[in-house]
Amino acid sequence: MDVALSRNGRRLLSGFFALLVVFLYAPIAVLLIFSFNDSDIPAFPLSGFTTRWYHQFATNPDLKAALGTSAIVAAISSAGAVALGILASIALARRRFVGKSVVSAVLLAPLVIPYIVFGISLLLFFHATGIPRSLLTVVIGHIVISLPYTILVLVPRLTQIDTGVEEAAYDLGAGPYRTFGLIVLPLILPAVVSAWLIAFTTSFDEYAVASFVVGTRQTFPIYLYSALRFPSNLPQVIAVAVVVLVVSLIVIVGAEIARRFAERRLAA
Amino acid sequence: MGRSQGSLRGHIATPALLGLPVAWLIAFFVVPIVIVGLYSVDVYSLFPGAHGFTLGAWHGFLHSSVYLGLFWKSVKMALIVSAVVVALAYPVAYYLALSGTKRKYVLLLVLIAPFLTSYLLRVLAWKVILGNNGVLNSFLAWTGIRSANHPLSQLLYSRFAVILVLAYVWVPFVALPIFVSLDNLDRRLLEAASDLYASRWQAFLRVTFPLSLPGVVAAFFFVFIPTVGEFVTPSLVGGTSGYMYGNQIADLFSTGFPDWETGSVLALFLLGVVAVLTLCFARFTQAREAT
Repeated sequence: MDVALSRNGRRLLSGFFALLVVFLYAPIAVLLIFSFNDSDIPAFPLSGFTTRWYHQFATNPDLKAALGTSAIVAAISSAGAVALGILASIALARRRFVGKSVVSAVLLAPLVIPYIVFGISLLLFFHATGIPRSLLTVVIGHIVISLPYTILVLVPRLTQIDTGVEEAAYDLGAGPYRTFGLIVLPLILPAVVSAWLIAFTTSFDEYAVASFVVGTRQTFPIYLYSALRFPSNLPQVIAVAVVVLVVSLIVIVGAEIARRFAERRLAA
Repeated sequence: MGRSQGSLRGHIATPALLGLPVAWLIAFFVVPIVIVGLYSVDVYSLFPGAHGFTLGAWHGFLHSSVYLGLFWKSVKMALIVSAVVVALAYPVAYYLALSGTKRKYVLLLVLIAPFLTSYLLRVLAWKVILGNNGVLNSFLAWTGIRSANHPLSQLLYSRFAVILVLAYVWVPFVALPIFVSLDNLDRRLLEAASDLYASRWQAFLRVTFPLSLPGVVAAFFFVFIPTVGEFVTPSLVGGTSGYMYGNQIADLFSTGFPDWETGSVLALFLLGVVAVLTLCFARFTQAREAT
């Protein structure tokens, strides 16, 4: 006899699981359907198949510029967050020092701060210091937001690996940087890639903080938010949404498969 | 430094490791919050002229039924969202962790994947679905379930829409901590309960559920915290009845009638509440780990 679930209980819960998955994916399916619908208004009945919304967005210079801008901001801020995250994670995972609990509290605090509060804080800060708002100020904010996520991914991986291999490298005469580059980095690489992906997607999708500190060049979420106010843009925006959602789902699943594969090989 | 001299040889010094990340957070996280604090008591202001320490904005806030009422409304909405989300995610996490299904990690990925895609685009999807002439209403009219002249009008731009969309956004995320706490559960405890003639329900109520409580509390906390200060979703699907505390802060800082001093007070109050809750949560998890 199964101690956790009766046969009926299992049926009930598997049915509930299926319903929840439908609830989660139905809105995405709705976007997919209406991105090919030949009408200015996304509503039933469907009025024929078209790919013109995809053509329209592919030739919309503002939209493409916003996507490019977000890609740049996300690339820079994720690289920065991962670099800072690696430094902090090594200290947190490998060192004992005075005030460690305070330091880790500060490093993880951006996880819980309401983005509205952080957004207006940065706005006031950039005003007070006279730093003009631009993509750089968005990058600065996104590094703060992403940094704790990279630490949460990297520290568990660092504590998993055997410090003996590092000691062996030192004993064989490698300096700290060679030891890091040749021993530690390859061992934590899957976690570094995960951390980078999380930081990249966080930045690419971030609206709340960016809306307060962005300059004249729009990032993709800011373009999207303003486009949502004009119904005439809606079909195009739906087509972009489908592309972004499908691409990110493929990347997520691909990354997860690759990570498992890599960690299995490293464990062997 | 409990380590021997030999094992320290060749290591990068701890200050060299921590210097940059900590400096970054102090400059671009701690200092900005301090500036908000100075702004809220008028020690610092953008407007020229004499400025001195005053608690006027704080006094106004604490005696304003509008701002505090809005705060309670947001707390209530966040509590509802958190409770709904945990109630939806728990049975699913239980199924994945304890049914013994071989594909539990694949199914978990199916569940979590939407959370890792764009937040704004998932909100957009609901805007398309819920509008008066949106997908749902037009579907009901088209199939004749409801007359086209009488659409369900409270779907979009309502408190309901905000709660629905936020619950939708958070469910996949919340499944994760609950799954982890149930997956770590020692099944032999359940076998022991069964050997002692506990029914499945008794075993669940007295063994499984208490042991999964840390995951449930973590899930509840990590939904409640961002939801209570939420302003993006209510501004897109909330209309006036879904207007939240976060929207008020955003409006005090935007064009129209900006009042940065009051806005700073509202922001700091929210931050204080979040900080107290975070400390309670940290105490709770530490107490759990200690036992």
